[in-house]
Amino acid sequence: MTALLELHGVTKTLKGQKAPRTILDGTDLTVDGGESVAIVGRSGSGKSTLLSLIGLFDRPDGGQYLLDGRDITRLPERKAAALRSAEFGFVFQRFFLLKHLTAAQNVAMALVNGQGWLPRRKRKARTMAALDRVGIAHLAKHRPARLSGGEQQRVAIARALVREPRLLLADEPTGALDTETGNLVIEVLHAATDRGCGLILVTHDWDHANKMQRVLRLSDGKLQPATDTRSVPR
Amino acid sequence: MIRLSGRFRSALIIGGQGIRARKTRTLLSMVSLFLGVMAVVVVQVGAETAKNARLADLELHMGKDGTRQTYLPGNADTIQISQDTLKGRKDAVAVSTTQAIIGEPGVNPVNPGAAPFDQPGGGQYAGPGGGDMYCDPRGYCQPMKAAGDAPAVPVPGKAIELSLNALTGDIRQFRPFRPVSGQWLDFTSEPSLSPRIVINLEAAKGFTRHQVPAEMRVEGATANPTPRIIGVIDDGNPQPTAYTRADELQNWVPRASNNGDYGPGLQLMLAPTASDVEQLLRIRLTASGIPAEQIHFETIQARKDIAKELALIRWIFLGMAGLVLLIGVAGILNVGLATVGERVEEFALRRAVGTSRSLLAGIVLAETLLTGLLTAAAAIGLSALGLTAISALFGDREQFLQDLVFPWQAGAAGVIAGLVAGLLGGLIPAIRAARIPIATVMRA
Repeated sequence: MTALLELHGVTKTLKGQKAPRTILDGTDLTVDGGESVAIVGRSGSGKSTLLSLIGLFDRPDGGQYLLDGRDITRLPERKAAALRSAEFGFVFQRFFLLKHLTAAQNVAMALVNGQGWLPRRKRKARTMAALDRVGIAHLAKHRPARLSGGEQQRVAIARALVREPRLLLADEPTGALDTETGNLVIEVLHAATDRGCGLILVTHDWDHANKMQRVLRLSDGKLQPATDTRSVPR
Repeated sequence: MIRLSGRFRSALIIGGQGIRARKTRTLLSMVSLFLGVMAVVVVQVGAETAKNARLADLELHMGKDGTRQTYLPGNADTIQISQDTLKGRKDAVAVSTTQAIIGEPGVNPVNPGAAPFDQPGGGQYAGPGGGDMYCDPRGYCQPMKAAGDAPAVPVPGKAIELSLNALTGDIRQFRPFRPVSGQWLDFTSEPSLSPRIVINLEAAKGFTRHQVPAEMRVEGATANPTPRIIGVIDDGNPQPTAYTRADELQNWVPRASNNGDYGPGLQLMLAPTASDVEQLLRIRLTASGIPAEQIHFETIQARKDIAKELALIRWIFLGMAGLVLLIGVAGILNVGLATVGERVEEFALRRAVGTSRSLLAGIVLAETLLTGLLTAAAAIGLSALGLTAISALFGDREQFLQDLVFPWQAGAAGVIAGLVAGLLGGLIPAIRAARIPIATVMRA
């Protein structure tokens, strides 16, 4: 059976103002459909860079990236945008909600992205279904300023889920939330895997990481299985 | 196609959301652009209005665009052949011009030579052989007819001299006279022994100022008929002029007596489609002895003449309007760049959820184009209102300001100016928006 996602020997060097820094150095990763994977590691270890490569925000310098067995390492930008829309859902530490839009409009923005066209009624139905999945359908008409942090993150999750993605990429989604709200958000994310959606969670929180099926640690540009030592520095 | 439509709709929806979210900025962009678009619209309105006014004026004098016309010597043969050929034709008219004096018999008219009433003139020719010639204010000179010991020039009296045009049909299809009062000549009824005449505004001025008896003297007439003035028109002619049916005049002026010594002779006006009449006339006139090279039909090109006349002025003003528009473009550009800078996260997020770079650029362009269109709508609306107000306030002072209609060309120019300004002002912000890197922003 073909894995949903495969990274083979992926490398990435960041070229900043200082000397180039190798972030990923032959990273390998395999994720199956419906599988949840947590990635932990020191700050600056390259977790977010890895996630941005997986989410096709950026391109690796070397190695191979397969999605459903198809090589997408050097995908043109237009096709990458189409894949981002169809296959991936993103949740970030900062919620990135547009303050001039309501919760429903923020969710619907993932449907109004030029990748196919849905009539207004269908858009609304799917938006409300996504909001319902994260338990905040009643807040559909609220603007972000009137929502709590947890509610805002759930709107962001609904936005990630509204296109029924095959892989959810969550970059420290609980970083800006208190523990209780953070747990709630992780539960909502984890529930998505019940429907066959893969989940890659980048986190510093071992409690959240341990709720995933696998926990990997990114260190020296490579991913290795990790155990809960409670010593992962923030 | 569906894909394109989806992208287009997405750009419009998101652009509309952007405009609603930043109303003040949109308003500021519109204000900076407004004067430029308004200038373009006003220049177009002015140019079209001037063109229409000039065209209407030219059509009154020269005739409508496309009309075929020729001038022939006004002798008995040409008049007879022309009138016989054109009889019953609605697409061609022959106009034979002569002079007529209405008023007391045997007196000198108050306006010798059918001169305008406010420009009296005329007198004895002062050049070589001047003693034998009399010149009217238009410059037409003729030998004075001395009878015995009577004075060569008649004594002044109550009479008005007119340029009299005898028509074989309705000339208004070629020269759109503006009705002032009364009615126009009826060419369907039987000819009357009392010639019905329609006079122009200058002639009407003369008849208002001078009370004259209704007796008409026409060169070559067997007797002086009693004319009936049935209407007044504006033919744009500063000379007192009257129009009558050729057949009614012929009751008193036999064709053989019209020797064509007076006035410009015979004018023929034909519709562009009346080529058969033109051909027939050529054959008959040539057969009667008129050299073929003297029969020269020309096509009236009033619109073309005006276009040349007004094009330079229009381009100068459009150039000035373009400069004002550029200031508006700079305003949109400024606001657009600032807005893109503020919306880095939004654009990165949109790209993250699958919006392509090109659509992102399209969204920014949609916003500036919508702003341009809104500005154009405001400028066009205000110009149309202004035009209506000007027409209502000053229409009675200047004829060309009456019934002014907002020209569609001005509307089109406004829309184009708005779109071009939106495109120019939005292009650089759109390119910047499309280049925002997702990874950098989303990691921040």
